[in-house]
Amino acid sequence: MNTTRTRLALAATVATIGLLLSGCSGGSSGTSDPTDVSPEGEIVPREISWLLSRPADGGVITAMEQIADEYAKDHPGFALNLITTPDRPSYIQKYETLAAANKLPELFDTDATPFAQKLASQGTMMDAEALLKDLGVYDDYRPAALNYQRFDDGSLYMVPFEFQLEFFWYNKALFQQAGVEVPKTLDDFPALCTKLRAAGITPIALDGQDQWPLERYMAYYPFRTAGPDYVQQLKKGDAKLSDETGEQAVQWLSDLGSAGCFQDGFSSTGYSDAQASFTSGKAAVYNIGTWELNSLATDALDPSVRDDIDYFTLPVTTDSVTAANEYVSPSGIGMAVNAKTYDPLVRDFLSFALKRYPEVYAATGALSPTTNVQTTIPDNATPLYQRAVDQANDVGEKTAMPWDTQLDPTSNTRLQQELTLLLQGEIDPDEFIGTMDGVIADNGPKAFQ
Amino acid sequence: MTLTATRPIRPSEQESLPRPRRRQLHLQRKLTGVIVALIVIVQVYPLAWLFITSVRTEQDFAGGNPFALPTEITFDNYTRAFATGNLGLNILNSLIVTVGAIVVIVFLGMMGAYALQVLGFRFSRFVRALFLIGIIVPVQVALVPLFVDYAAVNLLDTYQSIIIPLAGFALPTSIYLFSSFYEYIPGEIYEAASLDGAGPYRIFGQITLPLSVNTMVTVAMVNSIFIWNDFIFANTFVLTDDLKTIPLGLQNYIGAMGKVDWTATFAAVCVSITPLLLVFLVLNKAMTYSLASGATKG
Amino acid sequence: MPMLPQRSRLSVLVFLLPPLALYGIAVLLPIFQSLFLSFFDWDGISPMLFVGFENYVRMFTGDTVFWIAFRNTLGYVVICLVLQLGGALIVASLLTLLRRGREVVKTLYILPAVISTVAIAFLFQRIYSLDPEGLINQVLEFIGLGNLQNAWLSDVSTVLAAVSVPEGWRFTGLYMLIIYAALLAVPAELEEAAKLDGASWWQTFWRIRFPYIRPVWITTTIIATTNALRGFDIPYLLTNGGPGQSSELLTTYMYKTAFTSTNYGYASTISVFVVVECLVAVGLIFLLLRRKADA
Repeated sequence: MNTTRTRLALAATVATIGLLLSGCSGGSSGTSDPTDVSPEGEIVPREISWLLSRPADGGVITAMEQIADEYAKDHPGFALNLITTPDRPSYIQKYETLAAANKLPELFDTDATPFAQKLASQGTMMDAEALLKDLGVYDDYRPAALNYQRFDDGSLYMVPFEFQLEFFWYNKALFQQAGVEVPKTLDDFPALCTKLRAAGITPIALDGQDQWPLERYMAYYPFRTAGPDYVQQLKKGDAKLSDETGEQAVQWLSDLGSAGCFQDGFSSTGYSDAQASFTSGKAAVYNIGTWELNSLATDALDPSVRDDIDYFTLPVTTDSVTAANEYVSPSGIGMAVNAKTYDPLVRDFLSFALKRYPEVYAATGALSPTTNVQTTIPDNATPLYQRAVDQANDVGEKTAMPWDTQLDPTSNTRLQQELTLLLQGEIDPDEFIGTMDGVIADNGPKAFQ
Repeated sequence: MTLTATRPIRPSEQESLPRPRRRQLHLQRKLTGVIVALIVIVQVYPLAWLFITSVRTEQDFAGGNPFALPTEITFDNYTRAFATGNLGLNILNSLIVTVGAIVVIVFLGMMGAYALQVLGFRFSRFVRALFLIGIIVPVQVALVPLFVDYAAVNLLDTYQSIIIPLAGFALPTSIYLFSSFYEYIPGEIYEAASLDGAGPYRIFGQITLPLSVNTMVTVAMVNSIFIWNDFIFANTFVLTDDLKTIPLGLQNYIGAMGKVDWTATFAAVCVSITPLLLVFLVLNKAMTYSLASGATKG
Repeated sequence: MPMLPQRSRLSVLVFLLPPLALYGIAVLLPIFQSLFLSFFDWDGISPMLFVGFENYVRMFTGDTVFWIAFRNTLGYVVICLVLQLGGALIVASLLTLLRRGREVVKTLYILPAVISTVAIAFLFQRIYSLDPEGLINQVLEFIGLGNLQNAWLSDVSTVLAAVSVPEGWRFTGLYMLIIYAALLAVPAELEEAAKLDGASWWQTFWRIRFPYIRPVWITTTIIATTNALRGFDIPYLLTNGGPGQSSELLTTYMYKTAFTSTNYGYASTISVFVVVECLVAVGLIFLLLRRKADA
């Protein structure tokens, strides 16, 4: 074997592969027009797939399975293949790599992330606003539910399947025991925590392992003092954490940390353990959405705390620019429609499914993203259930976007890491601000070109 | 194989020792026994804990002391584990991947060693050095390039996509083990066969291959532990549920937003380790022997 | 060198090409591709952009996480080596003193190796937990050291050790078997001669036994080091590199850069560094242990 020749051959192979890559990398753009929502042709039933990130036995999947069965009865040969990866980080990795490999199925879940925006601008996803309007269901949706799915430019490429409200659940008995009141402003939190700690109570139970719960606290303060636009500017490098808005927010987080708001070792506490800490009466506050109504507002809840549980919504700040009825009200991860595989069958199925969905879904006791149905309250519900459901009709226009769907992935990963360090007191607010402004400046503007 | 002097020699020496020395030895042995027992307990306890937790009730696990003995025994966790996940399929997939990769590793390893050690050629030293890189370099290096290559040739989400890197990275060790065994096959055997008119193919099939059975077992055993439990390649290249192996299947028990049904998860863990555990316990003699002899010859 | 007198060039190719082809595709080609990709900026869906040495400059001068990960990797390797090789040597030596039950001990000791890393991560999460109280914190409480209780995976000063221990625990059995076999091969006459000369057990061990098993020790050290440098699963699953970057390894950082940040170019740059790092590490082990043997 001649080594020089071998080396040459290898180099050639590498170069070929490089060409192959650049050749296929731009190739994910579909052949069809993303706005052509009503293509002509015959409806030919086949199997279609939906890559999604939702609980396997949850309301959305149960409802869609039922609807797909109904549709298949009239359209023999049709099947809906649901491929779910509930663990969100694994899902995101999966869907982004599938996109790179140009192997996305007919339907796939995504948040309104920068990556999704790139896909949309390449024509990979159908225009959801055009689609919903064409199907005549657009006006049924709660504006807040649709707004949550929109990109910064207001365009809509994802269809919501849920509507959730995020509350601060709290234990009235523990509040009484420590002699504290429901906080009126966000600035009341540190003092609240100090008093609860002094009474030997864990102030707030936090699932630190999954990162997003802590990142919510990062979003709260700026949402109150500067409104939802702040994060949109921050992520592009147009605003900085060293601005007054950012500085106040970081200081508030740092105060939460030094007041010991979260349980010791919160960064390695998982979802179930955090919730158990609240439902067993150890922790006084727990920040979670209405997807947990079944655990928190039914007789599944431990009898010893059942009558003590109540909730409050995100407190305001003294000079708040957003109203008290505006807080985190996500419509969950959205469903995008692949433009490349869009055809009369996909349209016909979506038409059937989206019209039928609200009724079937609301019957499971969940909040529909539309306003045309009534949520069925389960038989074992506590009075809190009805109150939480009614609260949905009172939600304001602006919604606090979770930052993990806003920032570019590199800045987001770093923010999650630095937040933990800030709250644990490993770094001070200035270090935090310096690091994050640097990371966002390096990655944000590039990601949102 | 050249395993010499592996018999324990120590017990006989005792007879020749004077009495006090013997008593001291006795005490020393007792102490050693206790220490070894303690170490073994530390080593095995977590495994035992897994099995105990898998029959605990959820309330007992969440509310009670998760490290005490369970208050009652339940098999509901197993029912839920099978209902939530796709354990049967996952085990089947792991089996396919493991067997597939092992067959490749064993046969290609034998062929490579035969070419390098028995046939020999001019650049064999260079090829050997080339293979050495694979022992040293961490597998993660291959993730991104392989991902792009698979995407280009449509191999993502197939059994081959996991088997290729698993086999590729295990191949150097396999070749190395077979070579060091072939070194000890006396040259006269080959000469005799050659005189009988046997060519390289017949000699491989009729002499080398049958003699290699022990080494084959070694290679298969060592690698099956790693391959059965491989997480990183499967996690990167498998995209759909149909091909998920056991480690990925277990990941499925982490629910949306991070919620975990712990007792069901541990039941699933127990189901997933049982096949390998049984194989291991049945074949443990052969395995411990082959593991040790495999490496000490180096 | 060849053992077969009659061999054709064709037969060499027939036997050599299949393994070489597989190896080339799975190992060599990806290494070259990493090198190639490391000069590009590429997110997987947009066109590739040639950036020259920009990624390397960023890695060496601008990326603090990279250097933290590098330091953590070294710490991780050291802890794994101490646990695996130290533990293996101790247990193997104790085992040679045992009269009965050697087989049972061997079997039990190696058992953790069959558990998958995903399961190990689940398990150790419970063991390290503070709230609810995990095994370690319970034991501390029980023996009266309750004030040492800690959230082992949340404390930046303990987390690196905490993610290294499971890796050490899991494979120490394999190394123990290897070392045990080597110890048995030490000729008994040598040791007895030393004992008769009045050498203590310790002296016998260091002067007779250890030099005898040195070749095996070198092999084992290399296997353990390269395995530890590959460490990924347990830190990735247990802490995902956190809190902060306290348990971030080069491998997990590379993985996140590639598959979370979809920055395939920069991830490949880290890969290239990892390859070089491993080659250097193995070279160093050879140099150090060989030197000692000669001295």
